Amino acid sequence: MIAFIVRRTLQMLLALFGVSIVVFALIQMVDGDPIRIALGTRFDPELYQRLLERSGLDRPLLEQYFTWLGSAVTGDLGVSFRTGQPVTEMVLERLPATIQLALVALLIALIVAIPAGIISAVRSGRPVDYGVTALSQVGVSMPDFWAGVMYILVFSLTLSWLPSAGYVGLFDDPVAWVKHILLPALTVGLISGSIITRFVRSSVVEAANQDYVRTAKAKGLGEWGIIRDHVLPNAWISIVTVVGLQLGFLLGGVVVVETVFAWPGLGRLALTAVESRDFTVLQGAVLYIAAMFLVVNLVVDIVYARLDPRVRIG
Amino acid sequence: MKRWTYGLLILVMALVLAACGTGESVDIGAESTVAGDDTATTSGGADTTTAGDTTEAGTDTTGATETTEGDTPATTAPGGGGGELIAAQGSEPDRFDPHLTSAYASFQVLENVYDTLVQPGADLSMQPALAEEWEVSEDQLTWTFTLREGVTFHNGRDLIANDVVYSYERIMDEETAAANAYRFASVESVTAPDDRTVAVTLNRPTPNLLVNIGGFKGMAIIPREIVEDGSIDNQPVGTGPFRFVSRSPDQGIVLEANPDYWGDGPNLDGIRFVQMPDANAKLTALRTGEVHWIDTVPPQELETLSSEEGITVEQVAGSDYHYFALNQNREPFGNVDVRRAIAMAIDRDDITEAAQFGAATANQTAIPASNETWYHEYAPFEPSNLEEAESLLDAAGVSDLTMEMMVTSEFPETVTQAQVIASQLSQIGITVEISDVDFATWLARQGDADFDAFMLSWVGNIDPDDFYYAQHHSEGGFNFQGYSNPEVDQLLDDARVETDEAARKTLYDRAAEMIVDEASYIFLYNPNNTGAWSSDVSGYNVRGDNAVRFVETSLGG
Repeated sequence: MIAFIVRRTLQMLLALFGVSIVVFALIQMVDGDPIRIALGTRFDPELYQRLLERSGLDRPLLEQYFTWLGSAVTGDLGVSFRTGQPVTEMVLERLPATIQLALVALLIALIVAIPAGIISAVRSGRPVDYGVTALSQVGVSMPDFWAGVMYILVFSLTLSWLPSAGYVGLFDDPVAWVKHILLPALTVGLISGSIITRFVRSSVVEAANQDYVRTAKAKGLGEWGIIRDHVLPNAWISIVTVVGLQLGFLLGGVVVVETVFAWPGLGRLALTAVESRDFTVLQGAVLYIAAMFLVVNLVVDIVYARLDPRVRIG
Repeated sequence: MKRWTYGLLILVMALVLAACGTGESVDIGAESTVAGDDTATTSGGADTTTAGDTTEAGTDTTGATETTEGDTPATTAPGGGGGELIAAQGSEPDRFDPHLTSAYASFQVLENVYDTLVQPGADLSMQPALAEEWEVSEDQLTWTFTLREGVTFHNGRDLIANDVVYSYERIMDEETAAANAYRFASVESVTAPDDRTVAVTLNRPTPNLLVNIGGFKGMAIIPREIVEDGSIDNQPVGTGPFRFVSRSPDQGIVLEANPDYWGDGPNLDGIRFVQMPDANAKLTALRTGEVHWIDTVPPQELETLSSEEGITVEQVAGSDYHYFALNQNREPFGNVDVRRAIAMAIDRDDITEAAQFGAATANQTAIPASNETWYHEYAPFEPSNLEEAESLLDAAGVSDLTMEMMVTSEFPETVTQAQVIASQLSQIGITVEISDVDFATWLARQGDADFDAFMLSWVGNIDPDDFYYAQHHSEGGFNFQGYSNPEVDQLLDDARVETDEAARKTLYDRAAEMIVDEASYIFLYNPNNTGAWSSDVSGYNVRGDNAVRFVETSLGG
């Protein structure tokens, strides 16, 4: 087990290294640089040159990359070209909001998806199933910016129940926290939930068609007993996979929803970084997002082993 | 799988995060947040303020009690006990060094923190600020400013003439690389004969010196200590009506009243700037009372919003101007007749209506009518004068012209304008291909003169030198379109040093007419500056220069 985690951690570092090269290469391919954008229309070639030299952006690309890498391995991700703030600080400042939104959204998604998916599978081909399938189709197809705006329209503007934007810390005021997080979490949570519902349904249906289920039926076990003891344990693996993917995706920050609800998360940070070609910040944010994905993957693998004794790791 | 494996997992996650950490500045709270991740989590910064739930205007518990590590003395009872104003800004400030930032969002904040020697009044004429009075020598080459007495910086230190010298020298210093250094182009030296006197020596008469040093907060007077200790970008210290308290992604930017402010006010206890990049989110937050004030109102929303109860909407003729320019180093746009034909074929009223929903004034020159001193009424082109346009094109031997128009969605109105212009120009047989590129690309291509035509706007100027010199002088730094007319150069050079205002205006009027006639730029309109706020807010006005000043503002009015 320990050997497995160590090996996976090393693989992760390698993957992060690869990610950093890709991000660096991509950002070089687009026009513009942070200095030019900061100067905006007031462009002055001499000034531009001076600022470029100061920022180190005039040096050869390889040198730039290795300078960055050199300090990155010591934990220093550099400073933002735009704000002069350390990148690590900027990412960490936005982490709590992102993680909270991701977890609450996932919670909402699971509360919706697990029962809905199971019921729909068990009653496959009946009206309930069609209802769930149709609703999840709506959920998957609904663009998040539109859903967010609709919730605001209903719950903030018309009913005045919930605030339309902003963020309050959990420990500063738990009630206000719930009010502020509910709409953005609902927006992403229901979309994720719809995706997960479909996976739950299909994996339960698949597991229910196995021979051992027929045997269990033949033994005269009750329907829900079979679901609980024979179907679900075999369906979990694929459900966990999609839940893991969704979590990884949510932890990367949800740009559109963060913008609509003025939620101070990582997605907005990354978006601003792209717009201003603030590539140190972009590197930092993307590395973090990649790390999150990898960690979630690792966790998923470990959970597999726990869920299914046939899977051995180590 | 046993308990310890969970422990290990948590450890791994913490390690990954720690790998991104730099040690001391890392917020432990944030790490444990991740580590303990299966219950809903904590907020990272353990030190945050009052919940600051915005809603009812009455909830004015002082967000001012929170301080950052520094020495912000929050004990003194501030100004009028007027609560905390929540202001929503549409974009994210970058840095707070007034000499180095060029972001309007930063200046929305800094306008309330810093002062300049002189500052534009509501009518944009230059008024005393940190300087109480000034005089100009006979030869126009020395300006002597007398500083106001009893002005202190937010760190408690008295303002002295050396601070002005330091600030100006910092802007001028090549090492600083301040984008505004050009405003001191005619300044030879700045000295402090005594603590309350500043002498500015010039190498040529500079009639617009006051606008140059006071037109906006990029010329702010700063204390040298915040440059030396490197805190200027995170913890700006000025002499203005509000002191900077803190900035964080979740709380926004917090300012508190400066009880020692030299002028009248402030009335508010503080201001909190929150960032709402989505225009609809901003409007909704104003409607639900979560914010008191929003910066710009999308033009298509002006009418609806004004009719809503509890909201005040204001628009004022602004000093920005929209234009497009043709690349004169590329054929056929080097031919003045082709440029004139294009200038004639368009209809500015249609463009203005489509792009700004009428919240703008069509103008064939740059300077708006609201600039009473420098406005010059000149409109030689009739709208959609297709016949003459076509005959000019024929004379130039141009037919079946296809041109690219470079615009950017960063400024969505330019895209709309380009569409209207494309349809107008199609009437004289010109095909306009619209390239909507992102702003970084736009800037890069403009800098490389890689365009047929580009469209944008220039922001808030007061003096005609700012409107015309850099853009239309053949040596001008922003003359990307490649316009060159020795006569215009001469006029602009002469006007720069002409100290008689009437004579100076005559020179600029003539230059402007030639620039318009030869279509160096094709000027379109001056948009209105807009803003909206809750009816609880009083003592605030949208300004012609779009500066955001809360010094006289009150809440609960």
